[in-house]
Amino acid sequence: MLDKASLKKIRRIMGKEAMLNTPADVALYGYDATPALDGVAPEAVVFPQRAEQVQSLVQLANQENFAVVPRGAGTGLTGGARPIHGGVVLSTQAMNQILRLDTDNFQVVVQPGVVTGDLQTRVAREGLFYPTDPQSLAVCTIGGNLAENAGGPRAVKYGVTRQQVLALQVVLPQGQLVRMGARTLKTVSGYDLVSLLVGSEGTLGVITEATLRLLPAPACRSTLLMVFDRVDQAAAAVAKTFRAGVWPSAIEFMDRHCIRCIEEHEPAGLPIDAAAVLIVEVDGSRPEVTSAAERVQQVMSEMGARSVQVAQSEAEAEQLWRARRSLSPAVAKIAPLKINEDIVVPLSTLPGVIDAIHALAARQKIKCVCFGHVGDGNLHVNFLADPSSQEEVARAEHAARELFALTVSVGGSITGEHGVGTTKLAYLGMEHAPEALAAMAAIKLALDPRGIMNPGKVLPDELLAKERGSGPAH
Amino acid sequence: MAHCPVYAELRQEGAVARGKLSLIRDQEAGRMPRGRRYRFFLSACLQCGSCTAACPNQVDTALVIQAGRARLAAARESSWIGRFITKKILPSERRLRRLLGLARASRALWAKKIPTQSGLHLRLRRGLDGQGRRIPEIANTFFLHQKQPSPEPGAQRRVSLFVGCVANYLKPQVAQAAATVLTQAHCAVDIPLGQGCCGLPAYGLGENEAAIELAVRNLDALMPLGQAPPDVITSPCASCAYMLKKRMPGLLSAWPELHQRAQQLAERVQPFSRLFTQLRADSAVSKKNSSENTPLLTFHDPCHLAKGLGERNAPRQLLGQLAGARYVEMDQADRCCGQGGSFCLSHQDLSEKIVSNKLSLAQKSGAEVLVTECSGCLLQLSSALWSEDSALEVISTAEAALRYQSAKKGSM
Repeated sequence: MLDKASLKKIRRIMGKEAMLNTPADVALYGYDATPALDGVAPEAVVFPQRAEQVQSLVQLANQENFAVVPRGAGTGLTGGARPIHGGVVLSTQAMNQILRLDTDNFQVVVQPGVVTGDLQTRVAREGLFYPTDPQSLAVCTIGGNLAENAGGPRAVKYGVTRQQVLALQVVLPQGQLVRMGARTLKTVSGYDLVSLLVGSEGTLGVITEATLRLLPAPACRSTLLMVFDRVDQAAAAVAKTFRAGVWPSAIEFMDRHCIRCIEEHEPAGLPIDAAAVLIVEVDGSRPEVTSAAERVQQVMSEMGARSVQVAQSEAEAEQLWRARRSLSPAVAKIAPLKINEDIVVPLSTLPGVIDAIHALAARQKIKCVCFGHVGDGNLHVNFLADPSSQEEVARAEHAARELFALTVSVGGSITGEHGVGTTKLAYLGMEHAPEALAAMAAIKLALDPRGIMNPGKVLPDELLAKERGSGPAH
Repeated sequence: MAHCPVYAELRQEGAVARGKLSLIRDQEAGRMPRGRRYRFFLSACLQCGSCTAACPNQVDTALVIQAGRARLAAARESSWIGRFITKKILPSERRLRRLLGLARASRALWAKKIPTQSGLHLRLRRGLDGQGRRIPEIANTFFLHQKQPSPEPGAQRRVSLFVGCVANYLKPQVAQAAATVLTQAHCAVDIPLGQGCCGLPAYGLGENEAAIELAVRNLDALMPLGQAPPDVITSPCASCAYMLKKRMPGLLSAWPELHQRAQQLAERVQPFSRLFTQLRADSAVSKKNSSENTPLLTFHDPCHLAKGLGERNAPRQLLGQLAGARYVEMDQADRCCGQGGSFCLSHQDLSEKIVSNKLSLAQKSGAEVLVTECSGCLLQLSSALWSEDSALEVISTAEAALRYQSAKKGSM
């Protein structure tokens, strides 16, 4: 618990306006975008503007033993920004400057609170391209993207956030302000701390600055819609596309329930009798795009697509993407509670996995919609339940557990882009061996012996307590 | 979140719909005191409807916030102006000085005896602070006091004009322009004298009693019992039209008879630009090519028109058809100007940042005249232009329709 003296010290570090602790202010930072989790108010919220303030705060947290929970825009889906052990929420919203745009070296230096979409717009003015495009890019921040290692449709070609990072400035859990990585396109000097920090969900430090790689903007794009009467054909067509030598910038999959859902709520002209559709985007120079689009059409027809449609204009392409984007909101409309999992599996297993998911949902008598960035094997599986029926919620949770078992059995991973947070803690052991988890715990304990950085996330408290060989941290 | 103009400036969770809804939910569940910061976040909403327009489930956050504000207003034992003076003004010398300056500046306004029910009181009482904001000039003769010709007997359509406070007290030329162009388009324009403020400013502050009183008064003026109702009710101000069409029936829902009449009234309400373009279409006026040297216009979508009433087309069509002007679209035309009723007074800093973004977008378009269709936007934009010393002029769609209707008058 923070006493008055500690709050006073925090206020001195942050300045009067940048530390808030009224009931209204703290209640506003007790939740993120994870469905069905109640808010848990922190004891204070701070809005540092400089890395040194972050450093002083983390040093103080070590002295006085309170939790520090970093937060971007609060769009995370696994409860990573919820301060479940109280303490201070550290909002990066006041660190939102693009510090340097280096067009000669194709890189940009940003503070963590920069909004991903704003960065894309800014670099596009120079003919450059920051590819990572999570669904919430209009509000989510680079800091949050780094902490969660965010993906998005274009990850299939351009990689996830990790692939865009060259260097970081980080306040480590014991308050050291350090730089890691290099402002070069490659480096093998020492352990790759950048990779350790990216995706660590705020448990291994606070990222206070990032140097990101930029690409030349593709000259043009083409979007195609493929309609299938069989799910397995659509799934198998994904790997076939790569075999045909095409590297699409996105391959999105939607099953029949998704199509119905969209057509009922935001009609986009998708065929409601289809078993599945794929939306494929190719980008590059005009000749490249034309030839890639032709090859995709050919592969899809060979794989049994009932129809193949190429968007003839920007507006038509936008309509297809709008349909895809309207899917999550449309699903939210029909289901008061959706348990949204984001498993990822090897491409070759996709057809079998999708079939098995529909079968296990049917067995549990639970509604299920299945879509996702299948180009990299990433499937968003949403189990829909009525929260007023405990029995139904239990069946949905059971279905989720079966889903993870299935995923792990084919060599997949339980989360492709949402992270572990608190909602996937219980399933971590299904994917990783005890020894691997112990290694993770050893890293966490070495860097954060007092457990002040975003406690309760990524690794279970019990595991850390066991590895530490003493009682729980909080 | 991405769509909230207040969040763009404040960058705090309490600015956005999600945060406000959670605060109100907590408050209703008894988990949240109605403290200073709670009230701050509830007041920090422009009621622009941008969040609702972007929400897949069309959650009417503005309405939930209005209800939250109404509970705040109802919970007060004393009037807030009294509490405001005793708690905020008297203990602070600086504020007291400001208040005296305000009183001096506003003497002229109060001397004009603007009825106490007028929303202008709510809009202006803290705005006249001599801090670089322009104090709007008061009309010499209020519009509703001016003599209007009786409606032509043989006209096709009977239109009742709802004037609104700004067009009545401050900018009678707006109401005059609307009456003139509608008469020219063969409407029998009636201007019911019993009408008052539309009630939106009071409603926005959660002062429901005052808003209901005004609603009943306007109902009696616009839909008089025992007389045939007008074919159409229009207003040169989209916010007034929005209040009459979208919020008045709900406000009167506790009284079935009034509610039913309010619904009949709401069905007849059309924003000015919609009515005008429809009349033009009926008389098949074709667009003449505007010459190069006519003024370049651009349009700012009032939130209550674009998001509240879903009308984006009509004003553009109206301006595009004017022979005496050319039209250019500005970037982010539907971005809120930051007026937000009492918002521009209670959150002056935020409001000024928002309007300054808006103006730079308007200026970038290259237009010489910025047209809009809401009295709040008109005041906000003209006040900001005045303090920025900009050459851009701000007028209403009704004024534009009159001024630029023919190529000859384009040089006015």
